[in-house]
Amino acid sequence: MTELTYSAVRKTYGKREILAGVDFSLRSGRCVLLCGENGAGKSTLLRILAGMERPDYASVTRDGVTRRWREVKKRLLADCIYLHQTPYLFEGSVRYNLNYPLRGARAIRESFVREGLAWSGLDAIADQAVHQLSGGERQRVALARAWLRRPKVMLLDEPTTNMDHACRQRTVELLHALKQEGVALVVTSHDPNHFVGVADEVLELASGCLGRAGPAYMDLPEKVTPIDRRARATA
Amino acid sequence: MGSIAESTQQALVLLFGGDPDLWVIIGISFKVSLTALLIATPFAIAMAFLLAFGRFPGRRLLITTFNTLLSFPAVVVGLTFYILLSRQGPLGEWQLLFTQPAMVIGQIALALPILIAMGHSSLQATDRRAWETARTLGASRTRAVMTLMREARFGLLAALLAAFGRIIAEVGASMMLGGNILHYTRNIPTAIALETSKGEFAQGIALGLVLLMMAFLLNGLLQVVQGKGRPVA
Repeated sequence: MTELTYSAVRKTYGKREILAGVDFSLRSGRCVLLCGENGAGKSTLLRILAGMERPDYASVTRDGVTRRWREVKKRLLADCIYLHQTPYLFEGSVRYNLNYPLRGARAIRESFVREGLAWSGLDAIADQAVHQLSGGERQRVALARAWLRRPKVMLLDEPTTNMDHACRQRTVELLHALKQEGVALVVTSHDPNHFVGVADEVLELASGCLGRAGPAYMDLPEKVTPIDRRARATA
Repeated sequence: MGSIAESTQQALVLLFGGDPDLWVIIGISFKVSLTALLIATPFAIAMAFLLAFGRFPGRRLLITTFNTLLSFPAVVVGLTFYILLSRQGPLGEWQLLFTQPAMVIGQIALALPILIAMGHSSLQATDRRAWETARTLGASRTRAVMTLMREARFGLLAALLAAFGRIIAEVGASMMLGGNILHYTRNIPTAIALETSKGEFAQGIALGLVLLMMAFLLNGLLQVVQGKGRPVA
């Protein structure tokens, strides 16, 4: 079981303090949902957790050993995968993208790619160019590609933004599967209700500090957007 | 009009009749220009990367300098290297003046600003997420660089074709640094200049046709290649 603890994460942009000494823990098979207003620093925090953005200060405890962020940056890059709000897919086919994180002989890679396609339900569009995919399909390709890298931690920035109900459901199902495989998940979202049943903890980032989410983020009735209504009507 | 038609007819006979002198000139042109491009490209791409993704003092000045050098006349490049390579010049000991290597040096100087400026633009236009995605998926820095080059390949290829188009057709630097020596440093543009000055238009037109066909082919290739490049979000 992997446990990562980040302590006193600080980050400022110019004079603006984004993170004011945030403490954060990640554990295998647990999902933390991160809420907060736009510009609260959710994405910045995710990128620091992933080893992609340098904090002003942070220390990281990994399997009982504490080091400064800079010293574990490489380890974080190896352990964690960060998924952008709009995932970037390399130009080419779905198959090409799934093949990207894989190493080893071609036959082995191909078998893993088949596994990834089956896992994400993308078999039918394996050879399709990524620029022809819908937003939901792109998200699934990104998740499958990340899954094939076998990460210990997956950090997802607003993974269900602009998705209809059906796409969101499929994405949440994949997150469930990842969690059951022991991947530690951190998900940012404006709407925690999308992740009911997946999230073990809901935290709110406000004024650079992290705390338990307030009532504004808890127990809200599920929001139904016009696009959802259309999806449900046709279902 | 009759003379033009007659010269063009002779030019076609020279071109397709396999005139050895003509093909030696064409061979020298391609050899010199492709060598220059081959030498300039790795440095230019490295510099384009540095300018696109590096943050260091003097970066903006470098970008402005390379953009300015885009409009540097070939004849001034020729003059500069002529002074450097002439016997009294600082590099006179190398005894390169009026040799193919001197022409290569001049063409490298002409190709570099185009390769760097266009390469920089196309790399800077790539999505920042491409680099981050490659890195988060476990790519080493080298592999991430290769990935980024793949994503920007249409722009980089356009830079290569534009640079090749400029150096194979330039006359100023080749004339000054090569000296227009038959079967050694006489290339297409210097041969055209010479034949025209002698009033021998046929060979000039034949060589002009080669340049024109090559320009057409390069532009056609560029269109095909750019047509295949699609934006990926």
